[in-house]
Amino acid sequence: MMSTTVKNLRLFWQGTVLSYVALFAWLRPVTYMASKILMPLAQMFFFVFLGSYASGGKNQDFYVIGNAIQIASISGIFGVTMSVGGDRDAGTLPYLFGTPSNRFFIFFGRAFMHIIDGAIGVVIALTWGVLLMGLDLSRTNLSALGLTILITTFSTCGLGLLMGCLSLITANVMFVNNFVYFSLLVFSGANVEISVLPAWMQVISNVLPLTRGIASARALAAGASLHDVAPMLINEIGIGIIYGLFGYFLFAWFETQAKRNGTLETV
Amino acid sequence: MNTIEVDHLKRIYRAQIGVFKRSIKEVVAVEDISFEVKAGELFGLLGPNGAGKTTTVKMLTTLSIPSGGAARVAGFDVVKQANEVRKRIGFIFGGERGLYWRLTGDDNLRYFASLYGVDPSVSKKRIPYLMELVGLQGRGNERVGGYSRGMKQRLHVARTLLHDPEILFLDEPTIGLDPVGAREFRSVILNLQSQKKTILLTTHYMFEADALSDRIAIINKGVVIAMDTPSGLKQHVSDLSVVEVETFGASEAAIEKLRALPFVDALSIEDREQKQMLLVQTVRGAEAVPDVIAALEGQRVGRVIVREPTLEDAYVRLVGSQS
Amino acid sequence: MNYLNLFRYWRTVLVVAEMSIRMQFSDGFVLFAIVFQPMIIAILALFMLKDKGPDFAMFVVVGSGLTGLWSSLLFVSGNSINVERWIGTLESLVGAPTPFDVIVFGKNLANVFQSLLSMVTSYTLAAFLFGYSLSLTQPLLFFITLLLSLFAFICFGITIAPLFIMYRSVQQWQNAMEFPVYIMCGFLFPIALLPGWTTPLSYLLPPYWAALALHGTSTTMMPFDQIAFSWMMMILFSVMDLIIASQLFKIMLYKARVDATLEVD
Repeated sequence: MMSTTVKNLRLFWQGTVLSYVALFAWLRPVTYMASKILMPLAQMFFFVFLGSYASGGKNQDFYVIGNAIQIASISGIFGVTMSVGGDRDAGTLPYLFGTPSNRFFIFFGRAFMHIIDGAIGVVIALTWGVLLMGLDLSRTNLSALGLTILITTFSTCGLGLLMGCLSLITANVMFVNNFVYFSLLVFSGANVEISVLPAWMQVISNVLPLTRGIASARALAAGASLHDVAPMLINEIGIGIIYGLFGYFLFAWFETQAKRNGTLETV
Repeated sequence: MNTIEVDHLKRIYRAQIGVFKRSIKEVVAVEDISFEVKAGELFGLLGPNGAGKTTTVKMLTTLSIPSGGAARVAGFDVVKQANEVRKRIGFIFGGERGLYWRLTGDDNLRYFASLYGVDPSVSKKRIPYLMELVGLQGRGNERVGGYSRGMKQRLHVARTLLHDPEILFLDEPTIGLDPVGAREFRSVILNLQSQKKTILLTTHYMFEADALSDRIAIINKGVVIAMDTPSGLKQHVSDLSVVEVETFGASEAAIEKLRALPFVDALSIEDREQKQMLLVQTVRGAEAVPDVIAALEGQRVGRVIVREPTLEDAYVRLVGSQS
Repeated sequence: MNYLNLFRYWRTVLVVAEMSIRMQFSDGFVLFAIVFQPMIIAILALFMLKDKGPDFAMFVVVGSGLTGLWSSLLFVSGNSINVERWIGTLESLVGAPTPFDVIVFGKNLANVFQSLLSMVTSYTLAAFLFGYSLSLTQPLLFFITLLLSLFAFICFGITIAPLFIMYRSVQQWQNAMEFPVYIMCGFLFPIALLPGWTTPLSYLLPPYWAALALHGTSTTMMPFDQIAFSWMMMILFSVMDLIIASQLFKIMLYKARVDATLEVD
């Protein structure tokens, strides 16, 4: 019993580290810096300035927080989707499916590293916000904010797992990735108050990750307590779990289909 | 009249090694190559991998600038008059790449036709003709991405003929093709030769060189080690017979023991799926068979035959004697 | 680079352009860069800038269109030579009698015109989905500006394409060059919002002058002398780019044929 747990944990850990290393193995320091630090910063600046222009300079924190938390979806969507979908491109899917290893741990192991990576990305973004964009976090419960960040990256990674599975079926991974990523920009409330969106869009906002995370972060920055934002955070976790499980079942279904139809390498 | 003149061509590559402590390594791909090809000839360039065949072809097709020596194609210098050369030649580098897989076969040809300045009214007629010539008629409006490897190779041939060049360079054109595809391809080449085109073909398939070429130059380590007609080259091994022994996974030690025997001139090994063919060149012919089998004692041995040497055997002897 | 060749080989330029468009028609990545990403930026901007006055919708259409033009320039034009290397057709192109730079020009011509689709998409979005009434304040001057901008972009494109294939170190920054240009060139907000020291940098970017004049002729009544100044700057940059590109192509071809990096990396 104990050895199974240890075995599974090891699987989990190996999976995370390997997928993370594999993904970034080809990246050199410059490209890493460019995509993990500079690109998010540039994106943030763009929307913060745009928001500033829109609101006449007041309310800048709204945009800074919104876009900083949104950075979580870089890891969650691009990172995780590539980790899952990457197997298909690398041609290692048949090998993966041929092992007796526990699918659950393999699958979720891929997301784990990106949760940490995503959280770090958001922290960096918020730091930029404080240093360069005048973000005021003096009234914020920082540990609650930290929790919010972790939960938000968790939930976006959940969506990423589902997207990763979908990318195994579609041919155009990058198109799906980018589309989801940019859609999150619209629906998450990062730049536009949810209440301003038409009703049908608000429905979508409410079933997507990130929305409640951003709202919680904004509330915390305004001085709310962990207790105040707890309901939203719990919902955010729930969303992450639902998407993740959905992805897991899709992954399992995909495996049986591929084995049945003989489409393992190609799809 | 010589359509291709190669005069002491040399090509050196400089590669940078290391990230922190950079040093420059010089690789001599082509040391000193000279030969001439007459108009209408099918000239074969034979040699092992890394011999310098492709590098030579790249220099002759103006894609690479020689480090030394000179070459003239169709009377024009390949460096100083590159554009004149380009108008008169067509080239194929073996493999699947080099076509736009998102475009149809016809569109690929239209594209390249315009790059070669072929008048639209001419290419309109020529494209269907060429597609039929290479056996792709009716497949022109399909995306190249869906073509088989053999089809892509044949489309390459059609591509090179769009501007009706007098000289063709075919670099390992049948590589990766299945036997049927390769055979079809070869018949296309013979067809071209009958149209009086000058063809320079590189290959490492002996029988292909033997069957197609008027003359062959064998290249190894960047130099020409022999140049003659196929039968002329076979004279190099006319004194030899070849003992072919079929084995099933013979050990390295046994093979070396065999190779070391005094009457063994050369020994080459051909892998054929699960078995190996040991090709023993010897002047002793059939008399050598008992000693050969004795040397392979303990190994699984199948058929043994004694035969006349082929071009391949000449090649093995010539290349082997160099190392 | 002999620019007269562009006229001598005009037919080839058009065929190259046609084939480029055909190939990219089914390329998801290209479609995303010129249609979807600008569309989403337009949606965001339309919501965010709602209170900016009656002309803001047109402002968003032009601004988001510009983001599409730039992304296309950066990724599609920027990779136009690299992509041939990846497919394996680069050798066939260099070995053809048509000058290589003519081929690349044709590709860039197609890319830039194709990227106009982003402005069309934003227009359709704003006019039909959001129901705004859109009009140009100075239509004739707008179209002249648009043509000049396209020309400037094409010239810029044929300068970065050889740069990206020759210098890996430059291409590594490709991803990071997208948003900064949106910011520094005033696509969707005036550069007055930025710290003062960035202004000279903005002036050095051709898209800045394009954006300035395009906005000035579509949503405001920019005085003609300012418009003309922007035109002059764009022409100046275009000429500079053409001179630089000419040199870059010479270097690139010589390097490729001497260092032999034409085939694969």
